[in-house]
Amino acid sequence: MKNEVLDKFDVLLSRRNLLINGTAGLLGVKFLSQWDNKIFAASPGTRAKQVIMLTMRGAMSHIDTFDPKPGRDVQGETEAIKTNTPGVLFGNSLPRLAGMFEELAVVRSLTTETGDHEQGTYLMRTAYKKLNSISHPGLGPWFQHAMGKISKDLPGNVLIGNGNEHPSAGFLESAVIPVPIGDPAKGLENIKSPGYLSDTNFKRRLTLANRIDADFREKFSGTEVDTYNQMYKEAVRLMGSKELESFDISKEPEKIRELYGSNRFGQGCMLARRLIQGGVRFVEVEFGPWDMHQQIFTDLPDRAGVLDRGMSALLTDLKTQGLLSTTMVVLATEFGRTPKINENAGRDHHPGVFSCVLAGAGIRGGQVYGASDEDGRSVADDSVSIADFNTTIAKAAGLDTKKEYFAPNGRPFKIGGGGTAIEKLLA
Amino acid sequence: MTVRILAILLAIVSWAAIPSESFGQTKPKPTGKKPAAPVKPPPVKLPSAVLKPKSEPVMKVASIDRARRESVLEAATKIDEILERAWEKNGIKSQPSLRDDQFLRRIYLELGGRIPTYDEASKFLTSRSKDKRVDLIDTLLESPDYVSHFYNYWADVLRLCERPQNNIVLDPYLAYVKEKIAENKPYDKWVHEMLTADGKIWQNPAVGFQMRDDGMPLPYVDNTVRVFLGKQIGCAQCHDHPFDSWTQRQFYELAAFTTGTRTRLNGNDPEFKKGNPVNQLIKEARDKTPDGKASAALQQLVRANQFAVRYNKRELKLPHDYAYSDAKPNDIVKPKVLWGSVPSSAAKADRREQFAAWVISREDRQFARNIANRMWQKMFGLGIVEPVDDFRADNKPSNPELLEHLTDEVLRLNFDIRELVRIIANTKTYQKLAMVHEPSSAEVYQFASPILHRMTAEQLWDSLLTLVAYNPWAYQRPTAKEISAVVDLDLSKAKLADAEKVAASYESTYFLPKYNRDLQKLCGYKGQLLVRASEIPTPVPLGHFLRQFGQSDRETIEGGRTVGTVPQILAMFNGPITHILLEPGSVIYDDVMKTNNINGVDIVFVSVLSHKPSLLDREFAVNEVKTAETMGQGFGNLIWSLLNTREFIFIQ
Repeated sequence: MKNEVLDKFDVLLSRRNLLINGTAGLLGVKFLSQWDNKIFAASPGTRAKQVIMLTMRGAMSHIDTFDPKPGRDVQGETEAIKTNTPGVLFGNSLPRLAGMFEELAVVRSLTTETGDHEQGTYLMRTAYKKLNSISHPGLGPWFQHAMGKISKDLPGNVLIGNGNEHPSAGFLESAVIPVPIGDPAKGLENIKSPGYLSDTNFKRRLTLANRIDADFREKFSGTEVDTYNQMYKEAVRLMGSKELESFDISKEPEKIRELYGSNRFGQGCMLARRLIQGGVRFVEVEFGPWDMHQQIFTDLPDRAGVLDRGMSALLTDLKTQGLLSTTMVVLATEFGRTPKINENAGRDHHPGVFSCVLAGAGIRGGQVYGASDEDGRSVADDSVSIADFNTTIAKAAGLDTKKEYFAPNGRPFKIGGGGTAIEKLLA
Repeated sequence: MTVRILAILLAIVSWAAIPSESFGQTKPKPTGKKPAAPVKPPPVKLPSAVLKPKSEPVMKVASIDRARRESVLEAATKIDEILERAWEKNGIKSQPSLRDDQFLRRIYLELGGRIPTYDEASKFLTSRSKDKRVDLIDTLLESPDYVSHFYNYWADVLRLCERPQNNIVLDPYLAYVKEKIAENKPYDKWVHEMLTADGKIWQNPAVGFQMRDDGMPLPYVDNTVRVFLGKQIGCAQCHDHPFDSWTQRQFYELAAFTTGTRTRLNGNDPEFKKGNPVNQLIKEARDKTPDGKASAALQQLVRANQFAVRYNKRELKLPHDYAYSDAKPNDIVKPKVLWGSVPSSAAKADRREQFAAWVISREDRQFARNIANRMWQKMFGLGIVEPVDDFRADNKPSNPELLEHLTDEVLRLNFDIRELVRIIANTKTYQKLAMVHEPSSAEVYQFASPILHRMTAEQLWDSLLTLVAYNPWAYQRPTAKEISAVVDLDLSKAKLADAEKVAASYESTYFLPKYNRDLQKLCGYKGQLLVRASEIPTPVPLGHFLRQFGQSDRETIEGGRTVGTVPQILAMFNGPITHILLEPGSVIYDDVMKTNNINGVDIVFVSVLSHKPSLLDREFAVNEVKTAETMGQGFGNLIWSLLNTREFIFIQ
């Protein structure tokens, strides 16, 4: 055990050889080279290989975005605009997305069980209710667990944004914990050793730490300590890898950067595309806050404008690069906002009905699925639960949504929470 | 102070044997054929504000009554007895007691939020006093370290941040929370004060609790019950609770008590008699400038003065989509508490007062039980009811007798929470070796000892700071009084000139962009403020060390996390914080340099891990120092290595 780090180092140093020899399965990692990835890209499949999930934090108003109610009192100051498909309207802050409706599957009949942000977000991310006795994995960790890694060096799933509320790996192994990135402009920070620190010296340091720490790690072995052991391995593996460039958005041409919008969400979407290209299985980008209890008509246009620009750029860019045929893009939020405009000119929490969007690989675009009633208050047609939505995502990636995975306490769980996939949404 | 500087200077001059370079730095190895020029270490600039200990007291903290020591120890024994009975009944083996060095580390971290300094550790470890553990607990509980650490705890629970919204200046409330901890205000009185406070935040900073949920009267009720009574009723805001007994109607009945509370002045207030003064002032300011823009500071200041908590009785209606048969949509709901009754002492008070009196009721015990459970969790790493905010019929306490006993104690101590912590710290069980507990295992934890857990982000930050800064208190968050002096604007009569004057004073002091710049100047090191975590404006930016290690974004109640991630390790490997430790002028650098020989190894171990190395570890360490290119580099490697052990970041 004491030579573990040295072994890792040797692995690191001879990585080039490994690439040449294509030693898949080493370190227990499912490994497909860039080459394999390109092969996938060349033959547009009907199942997604990779996923980008855009999480709208704080509950995005459905009525002001993807499910407008023109002519009704509940609409407030938001206006409806036409999409490029007759009869389908969006809120007026989403002109770009309205122009590419053929790529989108808009689900207008989602309904959830809670109006509490924390529980709602947890439910959307895991497809399971938050319980005391067990912690469920987020969708990214679950995808990595089920489908493996693509790039050997890069993480299997990355979370761009805040991170605190993310359920992380839940009961799954710590190797699938998402790598959080706070600021997309900074990418993965502290990745380089200081210039003065030679490789030899770094190795010495690690060896010494491992020796001194050996007793402690053995004595207190358990999920928490073992997770840290794992993270140390991952960090050493990442350092010095050439594929780290995937984290560096400054490598993007100015034109592309502009396309996405010079804001954190836009740049986050661009980073997501780079990571997908580099072979990360699942990237989540957080954006918000959408919790507009006050002055929604003042705050929403800016925020929705950022979303419109970032998401439309992402879809366009993925398509141009030939990645949209293997990458699914999901836009999700924890619940909707009340049709009734409150006394502070805002909208409050509304779990009754709300909208999310799917696009890209595995998804049949250019459709609206389900409907809310005339005021956006309740589901009118084709109710979709959070588990149904998650199951649809999993199925669009070709995952077995009936398979049971067992937590350490012996209880079975399914990817997507055991919902029913909406076949009409699938390609 | 000058003595200390002199000592540092002398140290640098007289130990010329070790080159005065930072520990990590060395000449790079020649690459290729061309010998590379030696790279000069960059000039070291630890901010001067942290380089010498503070001469004046950091803050005033209520003292511990040492005369009560006997009764504290008796109370601790009672808790041990309850636990021992539970172990016997469940066939649990007793855990070994902590060695002095293990106790030392845990107690510093859990009461003071940081590891001990080398000097503090040496003093304790060499002391032969029989009472040294009891003494240390008392000393820590009346130290600024305690205030800082418990502030961090409450900041996580209460979602404390400077600007919950653009125009809400919450700083006085943050200062208020810290002050209440320092003066050890009885917990029930503190909570009551927050639940009933009115006025502007400059006049009465306790209103901050209400203001934190500005514009969200229903979530306010949910949050209040969750934090102070340990129950989650939030689901019932929209529909009957799916796995608890609360109905939507009950939620509204409870909310009816506080529905008349406002957090903003409006047309009903005398300040708004002649229209909206906020809009008028900002419009005037805009009209005055050629480009029609008013300064950000002025706009924020004027708007911030619109926030004030006032209560007027108002009726609450059921939602328009109320779907149950026991009432109609839009019916007026009468206030009714969830259980028990409003204490008779508050029968004639207004509804908001009644709500507060019910929350803190002694008779009902849930308020006391909740804080007892929270403090137990704080000390043992796990609540007797877990999660601490989910008391429910089918979420049973792991040891009901213990929970009720602690509740009795809270009541006996008249909500002196620090005294409860003092008692728990003095139990034999608390002073036993930590155990690994897997939350997903079905096992009921019987508290044979505290559970092993990672330091919180704040504990880790403050511990690293302990190794770096002689003065970790380069500044403290401003007091409520200090802020009030520069931001209060009377909207009922303020003219533009008044607003401009106040705005100018605000802009030059606590207006965040300016304030942050000033702090950087004072104690910034590579963009990080070298000061206790409790004093850093929050939420800190996403890439900050504290956030990487899981500090809350202050949006959700107890949003702090301790799960491991790759960026954390990279920060420990290569981040600026780790490297400050290796710089001349840091505490650990100076301490090691004082020896100029291999004994520095012991100093490094005691400084970082609070104990001397085992024989084997010393051999590894000595070997490392001796075989490194320079001794300095060897020590640098050793320090770095110890920081990157699990032993360092976990509390055993």
